[in-house]
Amino acid sequence: MAMRELVSGGAACAVPGSSSSSNPLAALANAFTGSSSKTQERLKEVPVATPTGPEQFFPQPDEHLRALPGSELDGAFLPPNAQGSAFMRTFRSAYQNDFSDAWDEVQPGPLPPVAADMRVGPVPQSPPTLEGPPQRMLSGLLHSFVGSSHGGIPFRPAQLPMLGLSEGDKRCIRDRSTIMARHFFADKSEDFINAQVNALLHSLDIDSDVRGRGPLPGRFREMEDYWNESQGMMRPGPHVADGWANEFNQLRVNHGNPESWAHSFEQQHGANGWASEFEQEHSQLMSTDRMRGTNVPNVAAMEQTRMLAHTLAQNNDPKFQNSKFLQFVSKMSRGELIFDDNQVKPASGDWASEFQQQYNAGPSWADEYVQHDGPDQWASEFATEREQHRSVDDQWVNEFSKLNVNDWADEFGQQVAEGAFGESTGDDWANAYEEYFNEQVAMKQRSDSSRGVYVFSDMNPYVGHPNPLKEGQELFRKGLLSEAILALEAEVLKNPNNSEGWRLLGIAHAENDDDQQAIAAMMKAEEADPTNLEVLLALGVSHTNELEQAAALRYLYGWLHHHPKYKALTSLETPESFYHADVARLYNDAAEMSPEDADVHIVLGVLYNLSREYDRAIASFQTALKLKPHDYSLWNKLGATQANSVQSADAILAYQRALDLKPNYVRAWANMGISYANQGMYEDSIRYYVRALAMNPKADNAWQYLRISLSSASRQDMLEACDSRNLDVLQKEFPL
Amino acid sequence: MAAPELKSDALMEQMKKHLSTDAGKEITKKVGLVYQINIAPKKIGFDEVVYIVDLKKGELTKGPYEGGKPDATFSFKDEDFIKVATGKMNPQIAFMRGAMKIRGSLSAAQKFTPDIFPKPSKL
Repeated sequence: MAMRELVSGGAACAVPGSSSSSNPLAALANAFTGSSSKTQERLKEVPVATPTGPEQFFPQPDEHLRALPGSELDGAFLPPNAQGSAFMRTFRSAYQNDFSDAWDEVQPGPLPPVAADMRVGPVPQSPPTLEGPPQRMLSGLLHSFVGSSHGGIPFRPAQLPMLGLSEGDKRCIRDRSTIMARHFFADKSEDFINAQVNALLHSLDIDSDVRGRGPLPGRFREMEDYWNESQGMMRPGPHVADGWANEFNQLRVNHGNPESWAHSFEQQHGANGWASEFEQEHSQLMSTDRMRGTNVPNVAAMEQTRMLAHTLAQNNDPKFQNSKFLQFVSKMSRGELIFDDNQVKPASGDWASEFQQQYNAGPSWADEYVQHDGPDQWASEFATEREQHRSVDDQWVNEFSKLNVNDWADEFGQQVAEGAFGESTGDDWANAYEEYFNEQVAMKQRSDSSRGVYVFSDMNPYVGHPNPLKEGQELFRKGLLSEAILALEAEVLKNPNNSEGWRLLGIAHAENDDDQQAIAAMMKAEEADPTNLEVLLALGVSHTNELEQAAALRYLYGWLHHHPKYKALTSLETPESFYHADVARLYNDAAEMSPEDADVHIVLGVLYNLSREYDRAIASFQTALKLKPHDYSLWNKLGATQANSVQSADAILAYQRALDLKPNYVRAWANMGISYANQGMYEDSIRYYVRALAMNPKADNAWQYLRISLSSASRQDMLEACDSRNLDVLQKEFPL
Repeated sequence: MAAPELKSDALMEQMKKHLSTDAGKEITKKVGLVYQINIAPKKIGFDEVVYIVDLKKGELTKGPYEGGKPDATFSFKDEDFIKVATGKMNPQIAFMRGAMKIRGSLSAAQKFTPDIFPKPSKL
């Protein structure tokens, strides 16, 4: 069973060239291409770097595996084959995709089979299980095969016992080794390649019948024609081997024109992430070539890289030199980071990692280099990434590396020389990197709520409560918002179509200063009862807060459209899109019709907020308050409007009224903090933020604002408490 | 209000007013630099709206800078600018992701922090 996995990797094998490392052969390919980009950078810096022979690789793979750094990178977000370049991959693709796309891309996860078919999407990764002795043998054999590629030494076949490979397994090994051999021995003759492959296959007792392999990868001309014809028609070839061969050739053929490849692919499949995956493969391939010294096209760019590296190197700040970031880069340059995954077990003999490690183990200069010239690493890595992608990332890269690297490098050098950054720069960057990784985890968790999906709390004590709705309403009335939310969640889990449960849940979240969850809950309420006026108004308000004008207008129009009294004002058909002026006019008509209806004035106030006609908005809310003086949320709306039109002092009075009526109104506390902060009274703002957070530790906005206020108030000493969300410390330090 | 507008417009307008307050003047005094901020609705470099945040004079204007060369120019997508300005995204992270592109002086760019922007309050 394990044997089968090793070679066939299930579906990944049937689909030739899959980048899945669940198949060790694919892992080999990954390791090779992955490591090459790093090696390339090194080669740039040290032109005399020599290829390392297998004898240097072999002695201590196990030691290396034991020496896995327990690093700042959590295994959780670096899948085994993401390797050290996962970061760069996201970095790279972020320019055109949302970060989340990039993240999804490096994230192992279930994918529809079509993705695997097309061999471009990420395929679920799991470290290959290679426990048994036959697997070891196969692994070792393939290793020495790879090893032979470094020194250009003829591969010496070893005699192995029967491994019990099936025909399919054999075919798979044969096809892939052929392709990989062409990657490895790009600078060698065809005969040499064939000899190498045959030697490998022979020792595996695999028939090296060329005819069985379909079109030979070496016949570029033919493949190029095929590719030109079928631009973008990424269909799996008729035979297992074809797909691999095609891919290989497509990538090669497109060296000159990766953009069109990415584009046509994108057209075909509509997924940005895939295109970037391909760019990446392309660039890796390109770096393979460079490494072999066969293709060094861009001398000017390398010159720039070196220059930037040089100036960065002049920063001898020990803080920078010792920063975790540099350690990170250093590790990455040694290929260690790919092991930073708990799933990779030393005993498993993970092909990819072992290979990677061996590949990188030889030159120890990386360590020394970092020690002496730390920032170079970063600089060159950074610049190299850019430079590699010049043709694709034209905007960003051209602008940056062509036009500005000189500027930047000069300026950076100058500023470093002048000590313009003080001591903190290195740390800033290092911290930023750590944050970046932390954020990846957080983003993953948060991505649900940002998509408008309601995120339920874990461990809800109200699940199983006989009447959670009643309990929730009771708690809400008492002002215990976070408790009420739990009870209401239990209610909507029990009765998912209870509009009132969702609505109150939404209100509670809004008052708890969590608009994302508020919107998610309200949308559920709207689903259950599309004409509920309170729901429509709440959605209008929340979208206004999120600055989403079109959505806000739609809901506010809906309010009028479904109102028994005012629906006559609206046309029978709901228009496709709304103009603010039209909607405002309708509401003014409504206000004329019944000037005593506070709700109409409230909606008008929201509408004028949307168009930033704050004076009108304030007037509308004040009118409404005359009719409804005890509506705490109305006082808050007035305050927020005043605050947004920079009348912070008035705003604070209005918030105070709201809090007199509802002391646990988290939103008003947070708004209070904002108003103090916007007046430059940071110490005060901190106290209000902390107060708001004490009532709802999940109010992310307040945490972000608290952080800003802490640094503005020069209370960096409390940043750690803020980052770790340690409310005890913060409350003690900033009592209200 | 015909064209769909940028979320950043709201923030910029608030910033404009903010600069006339005492707190705003404090920021002007502290930073003393001119930033150009290009905001694109969907993709950086396309359909950009140009804002000049002049923290020398304490002014915010729409359209290209006429007083010479800004100290630093930033380019954002609408969404990302909001994230950076409200502290949801660290500017350095934004830069590394390519969500924020910078031209001009690095030390000027380093002074571009979320705390120079006023925070929007919520209804």
